[in-house]
Amino acid sequence: MSPLAPPASVQRQIALPMRKAVEIAWKNIRMRLSRSLLVTSGIVLALAFLTSINVSKSMVDSMRDWAATAALPDAREFSDLRIERDRLEKSTSALETDIRAHTHAAITPARPKQKIDATQILGQELPALQKEIGALPGTADDLAVAMAADAKIVQLFQSWLEQSRALLIVRGKISAPQSLQQIMKESGVPTTPAEIENNRIQTRWLLGLALLVAFVGILNAMLMSVTERFREIGTMKCLGALDSFIIKLFLIESLFQGVVGTLIGILLGVLLSLVSMLSTYGRFAFKNLQVGEIGVALLICLAVGVGLTVAGAVYPAWQAARMQPIEAMRADT
Amino acid sequence: MTETLPTSPAPAEITEYTVRTIDVKRVYKIGGETVQALKGVSVEIMRGEYISIMGPSGSGKSTFFNMIGGLDKPSEGKVYIDEVDIAQLDSYELAWMRCRKIGYIFQTFNLIPVMTALENVKLPMVFAGMKDADAQDKAADILKRVELGHRMFNKPSEMSGGQQQRVAIARAFANDPAIILADEPTGNLDLNTGTLIIELLRQLNKERGVTIISATHDYKMLKVSDRIIWIRDGRVDKIQKREDLNIQEGKMEGADGEDAH
Repeated sequence: MSPLAPPASVQRQIALPMRKAVEIAWKNIRMRLSRSLLVTSGIVLALAFLTSINVSKSMVDSMRDWAATAALPDAREFSDLRIERDRLEKSTSALETDIRAHTHAAITPARPKQKIDATQILGQELPALQKEIGALPGTADDLAVAMAADAKIVQLFQSWLEQSRALLIVRGKISAPQSLQQIMKESGVPTTPAEIENNRIQTRWLLGLALLVAFVGILNAMLMSVTERFREIGTMKCLGALDSFIIKLFLIESLFQGVVGTLIGILLGVLLSLVSMLSTYGRFAFKNLQVGEIGVALLICLAVGVGLTVAGAVYPAWQAARMQPIEAMRADT
Repeated sequence: MTETLPTSPAPAEITEYTVRTIDVKRVYKIGGETVQALKGVSVEIMRGEYISIMGPSGSGKSTFFNMIGGLDKPSEGKVYIDEVDIAQLDSYELAWMRCRKIGYIFQTFNLIPVMTALENVKLPMVFAGMKDADAQDKAADILKRVELGHRMFNKPSEMSGGQQQRVAIARAFANDPAIILADEPTGNLDLNTGTLIIELLRQLNKERGVTIISATHDYKMLKVSDRIIWIRDGRVDKIQKREDLNIQEGKMEGADGEDAH
């Protein structure tokens, strides 16, 4: 047992290394997991919302930009396709003329009076093609008669059919921006600059409110956690804890919660926006995807989430720090 | 207690006071009203003494107790702890003093719930800046001293009240303080456990020569005290020595106390 030290003059209490505060804060979080989860769940929801809004906005913006530039008549993206289209249009129309001439020649000399089932010869595809391509080179009945009479017409018709199909695909590709714009219009995405600006202001209000609610939630949870631990804090002060140590303790605790909650929230938000984008825009969802821009947005979300949590802990931590050690003596708290 | 306990230090040994108060007054403002909790208290407590502070609630006992524990500052008068005027100390110096000079024991034990017994005892040493390994060894030693060597890695919630209070005592002794301040240390314990705790405090008091000051209602405590300071209505009512007390055990009235005034 150590002997009593001679009375020494008073010294100043030293500040503890950060490592100690981190250690104790970590212990607190582990032991008070349910309270930690309560604080964290608020930040998870707010950040999921923020992230999904930001990521969706970035994806929609990229798609809109793509649609706007690609829809221009001289968009470079489609120059090859346009050449292909022109070629196909020319060749199909040439084939059409050919078939017409042949059909005319085949029918005129011996126009049979009997009714012919056109689909039997032209195939089941005919009604659909008529709908899509619109004009057949000649009426279906005439074609059927002509094909029965002249095998050459069958050949010509088949190559016309093939080229028409290819033309249809190329036209579809070239008109993709227009169909994307159509989807956007149908799903109510703002398209004109005025609408976009209006929407942005609305979104900001919504986000601001969501973050404010999350902030108040954190503040409340942290205040509760301070009140709950009044005696514990008082005891620590009796044992020689400095005000700065108490502040560190609470700030580090909220930092842990902020980082974990924000990361979970961001993950959730990204998943949410991916699901909603894919379900609305399908194959267009990843058009012109700005990975860098989304990355920056995610980093900003991380900073906002962690910053918000720590900011919410500042006042409670200060309140805890200025508590008197005498509180530890109260039996009724 | 059956063993014969040594009496207060002989006059020749009294060269220093652990706690000394000079005409301490304390005024609170509650609402618009001023309440005089202490109306001029002068007390001298010697090194190694075992002191009990008695008094009805509202007598100013708690205020006085907090004052000599460095938890409250006087409105008027002086409080010296180890010959240092506590009114002169800033928050860093007060924290240092609470950490090194004073060990606190509470009625409600006040262990940190998230820490094991060992970590609780280590905490004041951590605050004092002791190396972790040294603190670990020392905490283990003290816990063994209070016969809790087998409960070192248990959380407070896994221990009985008596065990918790023994951990708290071990924690109070962690930095070898000059004063142990015990606020109703047996208030939340049953009779037997309370007796054991009082005995332990008395043993540590003798072993380490530490001054123990306790606020209490527990008459068992009075039997081991060197002196009993009675506070009434913001003043020292009387100060009794144990020898005087033993004559009329249990009945405090009429005992010969030396009056502070």
